[in-house]
Amino acid sequence: MNGFADKGLDEDRFGAKSPISAVKAFDAFPKVKANYTERTNNGGVWTVVLVIASVMLTFSELKRWWVGDTTHTFSVEQGVGHDLQINMDVVVAMKCDDLHVNLQDASGDRILAGTALKKDATAWAQWAHGKGKLRASRQERMVSSGSSAGSEEYRERRTGEYREEDVHDYLGAAKRSKKFAKTPKLSRGLQPDSCRIFGSMHTNKVQGDFHITARGHGYMEFAPHLDHSSFNFSHHVNELSFGPFYPSLVNPLDQTAATTDSHFYKYQYYLSVVPTIYTTDSKALRRIDKYSESPSSGSDGLDQHPKRYSRNTVFTNQYAVTEQSHPVGENQVPGVFVKFDIEPVLLTIAEEWSSVPALFIRLVNVVSGVLVAGGWLFQLTEWSKEYRQSRRRATTTDSILSPIDISREKSNGGYDISSSLSAVSQAGYSALKSPLSAVGNAVGDRKGF
Amino acid sequence: MPPKSRFTRLDAFTKTVEDARIRTTSGGIVTLTSLLLILYLTWSEWAEYRRIIVRPELIVDKGRGEKMEIHMNISFPRVPCELLTLDVMDVSGEVQTGVMHGVNKVRLRSESEGGGMIDTTALELHEGEGAEHLDPEYCGECYGAPAPSNAQKSGCCNTCAEVRDAYASVSWSFGRGEGVEQCEREHYSQHLDEQRREGCRIEGGIRVNKVVGNFHFAPGKSFSNGNMHVHDLDNYFNSNGVEHSFTHKIHHLRFGPELPDDVVKRVGKKGMAWSNHHLNPLDDTEQKTEEKPFNFMYFVKVVSTAYLPLGWERTGSILDIPHELVELGGYGKGDAGSSIETHQYSVTSHKRSLAGGDAQDEGHKERLHARGGIPGVFFSYDISPMKVINREARAKSFSGFLVGVCAVVGGTLTVAAAIDRMLYEGHQRVKKMHSS
Repeated sequence: MNGFADKGLDEDRFGAKSPISAVKAFDAFPKVKANYTERTNNGGVWTVVLVIASVMLTFSELKRWWVGDTTHTFSVEQGVGHDLQINMDVVVAMKCDDLHVNLQDASGDRILAGTALKKDATAWAQWAHGKGKLRASRQERMVSSGSSAGSEEYRERRTGEYREEDVHDYLGAAKRSKKFAKTPKLSRGLQPDSCRIFGSMHTNKVQGDFHITARGHGYMEFAPHLDHSSFNFSHHVNELSFGPFYPSLVNPLDQTAATTDSHFYKYQYYLSVVPTIYTTDSKALRRIDKYSESPSSGSDGLDQHPKRYSRNTVFTNQYAVTEQSHPVGENQVPGVFVKFDIEPVLLTIAEEWSSVPALFIRLVNVVSGVLVAGGWLFQLTEWSKEYRQSRRRATTTDSILSPIDISREKSNGGYDISSSLSAVSQAGYSALKSPLSAVGNAVGDRKGF
Repeated sequence: MPPKSRFTRLDAFTKTVEDARIRTTSGGIVTLTSLLLILYLTWSEWAEYRRIIVRPELIVDKGRGEKMEIHMNISFPRVPCELLTLDVMDVSGEVQTGVMHGVNKVRLRSESEGGGMIDTTALELHEGEGAEHLDPEYCGECYGAPAPSNAQKSGCCNTCAEVRDAYASVSWSFGRGEGVEQCEREHYSQHLDEQRREGCRIEGGIRVNKVVGNFHFAPGKSFSNGNMHVHDLDNYFNSNGVEHSFTHKIHHLRFGPELPDDVVKRVGKKGMAWSNHHLNPLDDTEQKTEEKPFNFMYFVKVVSTAYLPLGWERTGSILDIPHELVELGGYGKGDAGSSIETHQYSVTSHKRSLAGGDAQDEGHKERLHARGGIPGVFFSYDISPMKVINREARAKSFSGFLVGVCAVVGGTLTVAAAIDRMLYEGHQRVKKMHSS
């Protein structure tokens, strides 16, 4: 090879010449002929380790990309509001004829909810299975919905409230049935002593107060006086939500109950309603324009928007509730009063995924980082091995050969010192590189000497 | 060979000697491709570094004693300017006085003539029509009502407006002022009749205390007495055959300054959801009615919003300047680069006839409307405790940009080297298979 280049007999003169082969001059990746490289056992071990590490990291990146990112955004609700839908399902321990349900709001309207909702006669005993008590403290309230208070359940539920919300949990709610459950039939022997008031009604989207009061006590009425001993405002709230009706979404007052022995009792709940959107397609939300009713307000608003939202978006409202209840004197109005106010801030919980090109770039970064780091670590181990060996030979050998000559032996056709040094490190580096071709032809490492 | 320096022993980046090196076509192609890719990715890293993003935050509004500006442009095609009154009240029923106001009434031609402008007269919330040519000793009679407290001459009603005020203070309706000497001198009833068919557009701004309150447009002169707030509705209802009504069109209503155009351009489409520029819910909305005794109510919830451009701390905040020194509409025009304090709002609308009734025509028979009140358009606003801050920030710092560039270059080169190696080895094996 030495003198041939001078006589014009180098590689370029042999072999086919084509315009594309001019690109050869740009090749920045040095490749050495196979017989100049050396494969070592150490290199093979490192190769396997690096491949396993790359595969594991690739999987974890893929999983992270698949799960996506949940973002919470607050914005002011757009559009001119008009209606708000209230869905309720309450069982009160008084006969249906003795109850009035009404709503009064800040615009001065009074809504005769009794005509918009259904009233079914039912028995109190049929509803009293294992529901949590409303009067109870916060932890017990979270344990409610069908199970008795136990310490394990409590811990589960408490972590449940602070668990990161997964939008897909809520999206499933929109697909399930949106109807109220039927009132259970009266079992034999039970007299109807309670009333189940349930249904969806539309009210003005302003601060309001809806109340369940007794006949004649609260609103003026021309009727025989209702005996005070028949008053019993104990109630089960199976469902109280605002906006489109999704029975499977759990709201703070769902599945709660309160019982009392006193006849003249006043329950007051103060609610603050926040419109909320759960979505996996945040770009679609920009199509909601301000001239139509907000879809969070109820089925009226929802119907004004294209149906394709229902697949990946849930429009609803969340609320926070505080309560106060106490017995009242006989000249005051007992009942269940729910006072709600509507917040202007809309909460959007969106799940987003990064694009496929971004994922690809991340994977490339990860794999290359692993390879480079692995290469350097391999280099370090090789050096330390060299150092140890040279130390051992320096102390034990009495041969004429110097460490440098030893290393020269290792490389085929070694030249002078600097190139032999480079050949040693080259050997390590190529031993690293050659496993990459081993990936291509699936041949294991060969033992060097 | 260059002389060996002590750095040579430390060289971990080995270079293959020229003679031992093989250059291939595929290597060249891979090199060029990876160079192009590196250039492209570096350019995108640079673009990312230069990009400014807007990050919204939500905090509790801790301001105290602040003022709020309300800018409006509302037209009432069926109520003449003479009859229309704008009142601003806060939650206790107190009419807000002493606030800066700059509201104009623009007379509009009647609807049948197209509704264009006639001319502008400045509206003063407390009218004081001068009686210049009168005898300084003149003391006008008040026709049975006590003289108003803010009369030009105490104990006397020297102008038509003062007589109207005096009547309003005892809740007497004034009508067209027949028989009142001051009004005949000012030709009040003629003006009234001429203008009956006109419409009115109210435009301008007012600055009010930032408390729960309401502002309303109602017919007739208004008077407040403690908790009571009354309007003289006589001229509205007895209108000589002209059907007044509070049909209205809201061209523009905002609470606070608008964002300047360059800011809107920077926010771009993505941030438009929060921006109140051109997205005030009540812009370009209208409501129509044919009934005289009809009442429109808007319930507005106002949320403070601040926009902080990059470097806003260096320029002073306009909130530090006392309110009296900031002109109406000046909150958005601070030094370039200072923070912009404004408000967004969400709104619910409601309408009812004064006679009560139900919402059967909307499909809700169970909804009963209240009875009574006065006709007009009422805006009740409530202030939310939350404040939205939109903060500009760089998407990436300069060191982040450098890190990105290194990642790009390193990653691309390593993978390209691996690909090139695979190509070369594959090529070699294929050659071997062919030759063997």
